[in-house]
Formats: sequence, structure tokens, C-alpha cells
Amino acid sequence: MAGIHLSREWLKRSLTTITPITATIVLIIALRALNPFFLTTHESVVTLVYGMSWFLIAACGLTSVILMGSFDFSIPSVLKLSAMLCGVFYLQLGFLVIPLAVAVSLFFGFINGILLAKFNIPSFMATLATTWVIEGLAQIISGGYTRIVQDRAFWAISITFIPAKFGLPSIFYWAIALWTVGIFITLVTPFGRAVYGIGGNLTGVRLAGMNITRVRVLVFMLSAFYASMAGILYAAQIQAAHMQIGVLDTIPLFASVVVGGTALIGGVGGIYRTLLGVIIIRWLDSGMSMFGIDYNVRMMVFGAVAIMMAIATIDRRRIKIMK
Amino acid sequence: MSSSDSPTLEVRNVSKTFDGVVRALDDVSMTVKENEIVSVVGENGAGKSTLMKILVGIHPPDAGEFYYEGVRVPFPRNPKDALKRGVSIVYQEKGVIPHLKVYQFLFLGLEERFTRLGRLQLERILGVAKEVLDELGVKCDITSYMYELPLSMQKMVEIVRAILAIRLEHGGAGADGVTPIIILDEPTAPLSLEERDELFSHLLELKKTSSFIFVSHIIPEVMEFSERIYVLRDGKLVAHHDLSKEKVTEEELFREIVGRESHYYLWSKYVYGKPEELKGRSIILSVKNLSKKGYYQDISFHLHKGECIGLFGPTGSGKSEIVKTIYGIIAPDSGTIVTNSKKAGSKDESHHRLRMGIGYFSGETGKELFMYWPIRKNISIVNMEKVAKKPIKIVSIINFKVERSLAEKVMKKLRIRAPSVETECYSLSGGSKQKVSVGKWLERSPEILVLEDPTIGIDVGSREDIYEVLFEMKKSGISMILVSDDPKEYAILCDRIIFTKDGKLQKIYVNEEFRKVMQL
Amino acid sequence: MRNQARKRSVAVPVLSSTLRMLMKNPASWLIIGLTALFTAKYPESFLSVTNLESILKGFVVTSMLSVGPTLVVLMGSIDLSYMGIWMFGGALVWLLFPYLGMASIFIYPVFGLAVGLFNGIVHVKTKIPSFILTLAVTAVLAYSTTVIAYVIYGVLTLAVPEYRFLTGSLIPHLPTNFLLALPVLVLSLFFMNFMKLGTYLCAIGSNEEGAELAGINVKKYKVLGFAVSGFLTGLGSIALFAYLGARAPVTLDLNELVRGLAAIVLGGTPLVGGVGGPHRTLFGALAYVLIYNGLMLTGIDPNHFKLYIGLTLLVAVWITSRGLKGVLIS
Repeated sequence: MAGIHLSREWLKRSLTTITPITATIVLIIALRALNPFFLTTHESVVTLVYGMSWFLIAACGLTSVILMGSFDFSIPSVLKLSAMLCGVFYLQLGFLVIPLAVAVSLFFGFINGILLAKFNIPSFMATLATTWVIEGLAQIISGGYTRIVQDRAFWAISITFIPAKFGLPSIFYWAIALWTVGIFITLVTPFGRAVYGIGGNLTGVRLAGMNITRVRVLVFMLSAFYASMAGILYAAQIQAAHMQIGVLDTIPLFASVVVGGTALIGGVGGIYRTLLGVIIIRWLDSGMSMFGIDYNVRMMVFGAVAIMMAIATIDRRRIKIMK
Repeated sequence: MSSSDSPTLEVRNVSKTFDGVVRALDDVSMTVKENEIVSVVGENGAGKSTLMKILVGIHPPDAGEFYYEGVRVPFPRNPKDALKRGVSIVYQEKGVIPHLKVYQFLFLGLEERFTRLGRLQLERILGVAKEVLDELGVKCDITSYMYELPLSMQKMVEIVRAILAIRLEHGGAGADGVTPIIILDEPTAPLSLEERDELFSHLLELKKTSSFIFVSHIIPEVMEFSERIYVLRDGKLVAHHDLSKEKVTEEELFREIVGRESHYYLWSKYVYGKPEELKGRSIILSVKNLSKKGYYQDISFHLHKGECIGLFGPTGSGKSEIVKTIYGIIAPDSGTIVTNSKKAGSKDESHHRLRMGIGYFSGETGKELFMYWPIRKNISIVNMEKVAKKPIKIVSIINFKVERSLAEKVMKKLRIRAPSVETECYSLSGGSKQKVSVGKWLERSPEILVLEDPTIGIDVGSREDIYEVLFEMKKSGISMILVSDDPKEYAILCDRIIFTKDGKLQKIYVNEEFRKVMQL
Repeated sequence: MRNQARKRSVAVPVLSSTLRMLMKNPASWLIIGLTALFTAKYPESFLSVTNLESILKGFVVTSMLSVGPTLVVLMGSIDLSYMGIWMFGGALVWLLFPYLGMASIFIYPVFGLAVGLFNGIVHVKTKIPSFILTLAVTAVLAYSTTVIAYVIYGVLTLAVPEYRFLTGSLIPHLPTNFLLALPVLVLSLFFMNFMKLGTYLCAIGSNEEGAELAGINVKKYKVLGFAVSGFLTGLGSIALFAYLGARAPVTLDLNELVRGLAAIVLGGTPLVGGVGGPHRTLFGALAYVLIYNGLMLTGIDPNHFKLYIGLTLLVAVWITSRGLKGVLIS
């Protein structure tokens, strides 16, 4: 009895590791076939990096929330608001827009956490509600227009090449650094243990005497922080802030988290896996646009992929009731 | 309709084994006659609920015969089938749907007969609801929500529903022709004394038209209200008493339930504190006037250092809620909990208690353990201070080597049988899981440890191992509060035992006196 | 005689409990308060015929998108697929019109039912959380609509001019889409109060384990709940089709997505289910429309709307969350 039980477990678990790796290999081969320059020229690598870096940062934030068993819809909006704050107020505040954007984002992250932890509002609803407020703010300060930041110094945060000629833009290093910090926090600190714990067994965490409220609030603030960083760096990268990003961009973000192997209900997976997921999703995106596939179709694909991967990795035995 | 000789329901030689290993029932036979209350008593794991589940069709038996009104019929294949055999069950908990109105709940699942062309005939439903409730003497407003009714009334409505279900299955809502047999699974657990009396007086009324199988482990109630008693132990039927023909004492019944043999209290090496000696020790926990409406009132007691106190009482006595309050899982309405001059506010939660030096160990490993985590992580979760250090001021980091060796230490000490500290807990045996659970607290060594059902459902060998650990902890100065369903456990572990009933504390016994009273 | 007496004995408790519900509901206070406020402050513009008509139209849109999903919320789940049904259904009407003629509008309820069944079956079989599933479904359907319009056929709208007669008002000042909406409203109330469905959905939301123990086929009723929700939304989309001038939108507008949720929350049906229903959502829809209308009347910069709607949603969610203590939420 125990033997059979174990091997089914094992199969399921390895599925979440084998699938992303296989997918990456398949993608490399396919994309190479489509575009012989893929990954071989410096330029193609840089383009990829520009597409993936801000995305990875945002996805790391989402991963930590999902690990806890919750959901955060507000990440693209926080990203947008942070970018917009930089765009709109750079003239007056210079580099001080950065702490401003971070502070505002942390505030909303705090609200999200409190709504969940203290008022028992399901996270998808709480974050949806705050998203609307954040979108409203972004709408107001932008007036609906795209804002451009004129200062080279600001752009330099993201687009400085290290090493100078054949290196990668600074945003890449930011992304890797934040990703590493994220892994560190979730795997090596007691706080990270608690995050995994809440996702795995909420009652167990309560019985183990951990401060669930504090952890929940902090995780949403962490997610908001990452989203904010992504927004600031994105604004520096494209030298502008626009209103085009929206709630539905949560879908590719979510897809990258799940495809990487983090379970939808939490407790399993991790930020380290999200890197692979981001690679897969962004490369898939590149591949599809090389084929001339419309944006809308691409989004549909991400949605379908996310659902399928989520279904494949849900451990139905663990959940008794799912609403 | 049924002759007065043959019983309404009879099962013979019922056996059931789960997974080829656990013998839940072994050759059990039972009868239920018309208009009587029959009790089935036994400890946790004795087989009571398995037998009931077989009667209502949730499990098929491996062997046995089923007779309804003297005629042999197959065992019911599902609860609806069981209704045809005239059997229905009222569960101990989770049976009530709070947001439904009384008439909606009464007819839940039974609406077919009252639907025409897809449309519910509300007037008929309301009418029949009123009639049945009146006939069975249950007075309540059928349009109020279930959560608005007092608990005993909710139980009554559940019982009426069970009766109604059987009657409807046999033709109509009236009382003709069929004697419903209603299984009541620990019905009095959440009720107060007055509510319990109300429930029983209703049951005696209802006996005129139905029969009841009363599943319980509260001996006084069973003796007062049933006509016959079946005693199950370890899956076997060890006794059957017909109270109209013989006299049985509570103690006799108790011994049959518990079994005379037990080798653990031959341990004379365990020393219990004498009252004078205990008074000399410092008081480590002081509970004053703790109250929570509906659960417990005015609870006050002291716990001395290195002492183990037990709160002993039936389910529903409040003992479980009291200890959960001490650990901070439940918030009291009023009262104070003080340890070593640190006071616990009523808003504080478990993380505060942990810092105050109070720990909580529950034998229900499903809730306590993180099944998909390795042993190492389960041990360290309450031992973060030992395993994580702060190299830089703000951030504390887990030292995996320390974590691993900590877990190895615990595994060795408790003789936990597993390949390594990396083994995930779901694959461990029940006893090993319990050991991991208690092991983490052994490491933590809180000043005060609350124990709730520490050895529930595990084998004797592991049980003894755990008792050894608990004793060691006691020797090292950890004070404990025990809540359990097993009187032997109290006799083994506790220096003092406080009897709890209906949310109030009653007499306090020292270990010796307790053993005498319980005849252990 | 006996039947009359029985009917009366049903009517009185129903009436009094309706009054009780109204008193406790945030939406009813909002409606009364806002109406009073606006009548006092902007009597001419608020009470003008055009404005009242637009309130009615807004009410139709909001309620059609929220009464169906309310049934799913009663179970404790959530159904965000209404946008997808509305949009893609419209595309289907446009695509099928050359073949089915005027009858093609009836693809709407059929399609809605199909989507609902899909949602229900996938949710029950795979245990995937309903909000993710229905969000993905809505996104896929919405994007497909955009693709069909812009990419495949290269058109900007998917309007079917032959239906334009539905846009006007058959009875003066009473928009036709209101008349089209009425059967949907009536049906939703019927499902809720006169069939087992309503009771069972509440039971599942209130105590799913208990409902299972009581012998309810929880899986079947979950699927049914999603299916009926989709069906009602599909049917309601016919009224919306008319509203926009014989077409459904072609690009996903998230404002509309929030609208449906807002109506349910404002109406007082808690997101964990167990109580409430379409009757409450109707009030929530009216309240939402009044808020929106008021914002327009006060002449606030339209850019600010989102913010105020967001704040309202936040407050509404907060108010209705009271009483959720002790429930384990993620």
C-alpha cells in the first residue's frame, strides 16, 4: 500500500520539475528553427533580457503570495502606478520618486494584507478591490496619457550595460539580484518557512504558535515591493510610463508561476522555479509573435497553459473542499 | 405491522476490516426492537462509528446478515437505501446547515414528493412541517433560520428530519406503519445540562413512535435513558445488558469499556507529587475566573512547576475549550491567565502564548503536522530560535546543519522509525507521526505544555514511548495540562485531576484518589 | 378555502422577512440615501426623464451581468465568466446570422448554458478554484472575440443591424431592453425561491460537508449552479445586445467586470455564500447605478471615476465581510 502511494506522489512531484525543463528545451529547439539568430547574437539575447527582467521581478512577488495560498491581482496595477509616479513626478522630485513609489506600493500591499488577515476577505476579492483604487489613482495622475521621463540618469538604472560592450543591461542584474533575495527570504528565513507553512497547513501554523497576521501582511507588502521595483525599472527601461498594463496581465504572470512548478494552492514550489516559468512564458511569447500571432491569441494561450498546468499539479487528495 | 416477537432491526456477525489490517469490527451482533432506546458504548476506536456507518450504508461489511422485521435483506448500499430499511442517522457535528430556514432544512433532500413540474409546493411543505413538528412535540418557528435556534432545538430538528426522511420513504409523513430507527451519534456533546434534559424528555416522547440507537461514551446518560446497552471494545461485542432484567453499576460498565488489563500502570517507577509537596512548589500558571458563554464558566486553578494537571470529563464538559483558551486558539469572554508575572490578554493569539512559555500538543497529527514536509522541518517549526540565528541585525537565517542535527537528535531519542530526517511525514506510521509531533515539543521544552488527546489512535508500543517522553519532560521541570478521553492516561501522567462537568470545575483529586475512584 | 388560508399563511412570513432583509441590507440604505441626496441637490438633472431612463438602462446592464453569478456566489464560489459569455455570444450571433437569421439571437442562452456547464464540470472534476477558472474562461472568450473581429474578419464591431429595432423604446420612455430583462429577473427569482436549486445552493455555501451528509448530491448541484448562472447570463445578454445597438463589445473592458461583482457585493450576498440571492443583487445593481449616476451628475472628472468606484467596492467588501470571523480564508 505504502509503495504504490509513494510512486504516485513521486510521479506528480517530478511532473512539476520535468515539464518546465522539457518545455524549455523544446522551446529552444523550436525558436532556433524559427529564427536562426535566436540566442546566438548579442542583440537577440539583449532583447530577450529586456522582455524578461521586469516580468521576472513581478512574477517573484506573485510567487510568494501564491506560496502562501493566496492570490494577488494588484501586481500589474501597482507596477503601473509606480511607473506612472516616476513618469509624472520626476520633474519635481528627481530620484525621490523611487522611495515615493515604493512607499505607496507598500501601503497598498499593507492594505491587501490587512483585508485578508484582519477582515477575512478572500484575497482575490480584496486585491481586486484595491486594484480598482490603484487603477483609479493611476488614471488620475496620468490623465490617461503616456508619460515620458526625459532624464538619462533615470534611464541609466535599467539600461546601463555591464560590462560595457558585450554585457547585459543593468535591469538584468537587478532582476537576478531580486530573484536571489526572494529565494533567500523564502527558503532560508523563519519568515519564509511560515509562508510555506500557511500555504501547506494553516491550522498547523496556528497550532505551532506563529503570528499568521504578521506573515500575511508582510507577504503582500513584499509582493507589492517587487511589483513596485518592476514598475520603476520598467519605466527606466522603456523611458516612459503608460496605462496599457492592466489586471489581465496577471494571466501571463500567473502562468509563469504555475508553469514553473509552484502549486496553485500553495505550500509547494518556490521562487527559484519561477525563473524557468518566466523563461518559458516569455520565450513562448517571442515565438508566437515571430509567427505573427496576435496579442489576444497569445494571451489566450497563456490562460489555457496556466489552467492546464494548475490542473495537472493540484493534489486532489489534499483538498477536501474547494470553492 | 411487525410482530411483537421479531425485532425491527437485527444484524448478526458483522465484521469489517479496513485496508486488510485494521480490524474495526469482529463478529458483532445487535438487535433493535420497536419503541426502545438502545445504547452502543465504547472507547474511541472501539468500532461504534464503523458499525453505525454500516447500518446506514456508508460502508459495506465484510461479513454479516441484516434482518428487517424478521426478513433477511441485503445491507443498505447507501444512506437512501438505509431509509428504506427504516434507518437514519443524526451526526454528532456538521449535520446542521445554519443558513437554512427550519422548513428548508427539514425537507432538505426530500423535496421530490413536494415538487410539481419542477416547482416546489411551498404551502404543502410548510403545512407538513408544522404538522410533523406539532405531532412530535417540537415547538419552534418554522420560518426562523437554523442558526437562530438554541442548540438542543437544532438537535431536535435534526432528529425530526431523520424521522421524516424514513416516513416519507415508506409512504407518507404520518406515523403509520413504520418504526423509524434513528441513530444518535453522541447527541449531547455540545449541550448544557438543561438542554440535555430537554433532549431526553423529547426522546422519551418520541420513543412512542420510533426507536433510537444511542451512541455514546457518557456512562451516566446511557444508564439513565436506555433500555439495553451494547458494549464494544476493540471491535468486539464484549457485553450486552438488558436493564429491565439485570442491574449494572457504572463501574462495571466502565471496566467493560476500558478493559481490565493494561500494563502501563504497573509502572511503579513513576512518582506522583503528594499534595503537601506540590503546594511547596512555585506556581507557574494561574487561571482566574475564565468564562466563555456556552462553553465554560468561572474556571480558576493553579498549576505548579513540574506538575501535570488533568481536566477530566465527558465531551462537552468544556475541558477542550479551556485548554484551547489557555493556548490562545479560543478567546475567552473574561478572566485572566497569568504565567510568571506575564499576563495574557484575551485578544492575544497563540504566538503570544508561545512566547509566554506555553506550548500545545495535539494528538491529531492531521492538524498539527505538515504532512508534505520532511521530519526536519516539522521539528524546527516550533524551534526556530534554536535553528535560526541573526548574523545581521534584521534578518534571521536558518542554519540547515543545526536543523538537521536537531531533528536527528529527536529521532534517536524517540526511536522514530524512518529512513532519515528528510522523510516526508505523510509516509510515516501513525505512531511515528505522533512521535514527531511530541518530539518537536520535547525539543522546545516550553515551561507549560498543553496536551490534548496525545495518544489518540496509535498502537500500544508507540503510546508507551510517548508516555516515557512526557515523563522525562515532567522530570525536567515542564508543567503540563492534560485533556484526553482515556482515564488511564490521566492515571499515568497526572499528579492532580480536576473533574470538569458542564463547563465548571468540580472536585480535585490527587493521583492516588483518582485511581481509587476510577478503579484502575 | 383551505388553499386560501394556506396561501395567506405563506405570504405573511415571506413579506415580513423581506422587510427584515431590506432593513439590514446596505444596498437599500444606499438607494434611499442617494436618491434623497440627489433629489435634494440636483432636482432638475436627477429627476429628468433622460436621467431616469439612463438609470434604468444602467440597471439593466448591471443586473443582467450579476443575477446569474449570484447563484454561484451562494455556493461559496465565484463566476467571472459573464463577460466572456456576453462578448463571445455576441460574436456567435454575428457569425450565425447569415445562416439562422433572426433566430440566431437564441444562441445566447444556449452558449451561456454550455459555458456554465464547462465551468461547473471542470471545477468539480479538477477542484481548481472557481475564480481562476472562470477568470481564465472569460479571458479566453473575450480575447477570442477580439481576434474574430479584428484579426479574422478585420471589422471594428460585430453589430447585427437587423436587431437594431430592439434598441429603442417600444413603449415611450421605457427602454426595450428593460422589457427584455424582466423575464431574466423573474426566472432568477423563480430558480432561487421556487425550486430546490436555491435551497441547495445555500446549503452548499453554508455547510458543504453537512449538505453532503444530508444526502445532497453536491457535485451535481455545483455543476447545476454554474450551468444556470451561465444560462441566465446568456439570456440576459440578449437585453444587453439590444442596449449597445445590436452588438456586444469586442474588446474586454474591465469596468464591466467590476460592475457585476460590485452589484453582488453591494447587494449583500456574502462572498462565502449561504445567504442572499438574486433578489439582493437587484438592489445592489440599483445602488451601483445610482452611485455611478451621481458621480456623473456631480461633474467630477471622468478620470476620477475609477477611484471612487474602487473605494466603494472596497468599503462594500469590508462591510459585508463582517461576520466572517473564524472562517478559514485564504
